[in-house]
Amino acid sequence: MPEPLRVLIVDDEAPARSLLREYLGTHAGVEVVGECANGFEAVKAIAEQRPDLVVLDVQMPKLDGFEVLELVAGEPGAPAVIFCTAYDEYALRAFEVHAVDYLLKPFGRERLAEALGRARDRLALAASRAQGQSAESGSPAEPGPGPATSPVAAALAASARGPGRYSERIVVRDGAQVHVVPTEQVDYVEAQDDYVAIHGAGHSHLKHQTLAELAEALDPARFVRIHRSFLVNVERIARVELLGKDQRVVILRDGRQLPVSRSGHERLREQWS
Amino acid sequence: MHPLFARPVRLLIVVATAALFGVPLAWLLRLLEPRPWSAALAFAVPLTVFYSFIVLSAWWVCRRHPITGDAPWRAVAVQLGAALQATSIWTALGTFWALALDRWLYAGLTRAAMLRDLVVLFAAGIPIYLLSAVAHYLVLAFEASHAAERRVLESEVGAREAELRALRAQLNPHFLFNSLNSINALVGSDPEGARRMCEGLGDFLRRTLALGAQDEVTLGEELALVERYLGIEQVRFGERLRVERAVAPDAAACRVPPLLLQPLVENAIKHGIQDCVAGGVIRIAATRVDGTLRVTVENPVDADAPVRRGEGVGLENVRRRLEVFGARESQLFAAREADRFRVTLTLPAIAGGAPMEAARA
Repeated sequence: MPEPLRVLIVDDEAPARSLLREYLGTHAGVEVVGECANGFEAVKAIAEQRPDLVVLDVQMPKLDGFEVLELVAGEPGAPAVIFCTAYDEYALRAFEVHAVDYLLKPFGRERLAEALGRARDRLALAASRAQGQSAESGSPAEPGPGPATSPVAAALAASARGPGRYSERIVVRDGAQVHVVPTEQVDYVEAQDDYVAIHGAGHSHLKHQTLAELAEALDPARFVRIHRSFLVNVERIARVELLGKDQRVVILRDGRQLPVSRSGHERLREQWS
Repeated sequence: MHPLFARPVRLLIVVATAALFGVPLAWLLRLLEPRPWSAALAFAVPLTVFYSFIVLSAWWVCRRHPITGDAPWRAVAVQLGAALQATSIWTALGTFWALALDRWLYAGLTRAAMLRDLVVLFAAGIPIYLLSAVAHYLVLAFEASHAAERRVLESEVGAREAELRALRAQLNPHFLFNSLNSINALVGSDPEGARRMCEGLGDFLRRTLALGAQDEVTLGEELALVERYLGIEQVRFGERLRVERAVAPDAAACRVPPLLLQPLVENAIKHGIQDCVAGGVIRIAATRVDGTLRVTVENPVDADAPVRRGEGVGLENVRRRLEVFGARESQLFAAREADRFRVTLTLPAIAGGAPMEAARA
């Protein structure tokens, strides 16, 4: 008997959840590990339950399905995702972020069975890859069956914003807890290895993302890359000071100093001209 | 500018026809005095071509003095005056042209022959101008009726478009998809509930089509439709969806454009109830104060809700419905407070049965 497929159901509508539970109940080797009715619960449950598969609604309170996926993606053991919605317009975006399948409501048992089959294939493939990799190098960081980190995360960021629109909020996960930071509250963002530290409103949050990806999602009229490792909210800048030849610092309104590279200074000047 | 100048092909046809008119004129001149065809045509054809441009000026006179206007006799008098002017110019030019062709045209003839030719020219010029004026009046009348027809059609199409848009918004496919999904779920767990929901959905769709086909309905009818809609959404959202109603009876009797309220309630669910973990209360209120009907739809708002695209389409639709309804005092006002969103409609209060036209006037 193989390990059961551990599935988490995420949908804000009770009838939709009970339908999924009913359908899944008829599959041998599937264990429903929980039901969530909003994005926060989903992120918490994924962190705690470590499901293999999440059946995820798109429009939900607190965090939408894509934001949930963004927060749990790119980690070892990240779950495979099947989106499940009445809206067909998110399908492209769903496959860009490597969803296993995209179920359009209303759907029947056969359609869900097909999606489960795909999920099993994807999980098996990821497991065999991980085995091969750890046998070769002994690396502990095997990729999960869900979205991989960088190129996908970039697609995520780009698609999450849609054409001509930029993120108005940044979602950050801290263990099982989720923080939503409105972009207007952000003072500056600092790159720290694979993470970015988002500073604003007296707090800082670490997010597993590169500075370039985050910069792409934010409104370039507000956030300027002043340095390889710094993205600043131009509304927080008090002044720019010249330290030496071609060496400048940005002084924020609260007195903090951030380094400015030569190309960063060019970008700032473009912004202000 | 005369419209003919914008259409070179037609202008060419007019000029060619005018040139052809030179032939009978040359024939007439030859009847009066014998002379070679070549000379008669050389005199007549350029003159008729030139006159065609003069008689086109009737277009401006016709536009300025419409025969269907307040003073048709004045228009006739003006046209007669214009005809005299036109033929005078023509005859003057004819004089110069006759003098220029003198040796050829009047070889062996007296000056009296030339004078007679010019009198003929003058006399012929008047009916030709008047014919042109009549033709221009006909064209203008045709254009006016055409434009009027188009205006009527356009306004009808505009009204139909607004109606269709409202119907389409009403029969929002996502609402149907989600409802079908709920029915799908109920079939397993609560077959009786599934049946009730099928019935409710059918009832809602039938009423929507019936109300949508009317020009106006009472607020009460509109609210009854909203109740059916809420009944269906209640299955999806359960305890998260709570509704408070405060509708005064005299307000419910007022006339409103159909399918006005449901888009607002749908918005209240989509951007209110659906975004709040614990749901909330949608408040629907209507009052009538003096001549004004005021309808408000209020929903809770979660400040942390994910940003959704395509907001405002529903409100825009409702605004357009109010415009088509035509009452100038009608307006839609949307306001966001800390954790509530409120849309207020104000319309002229017209009790059911009273004709709209009287109130609009």
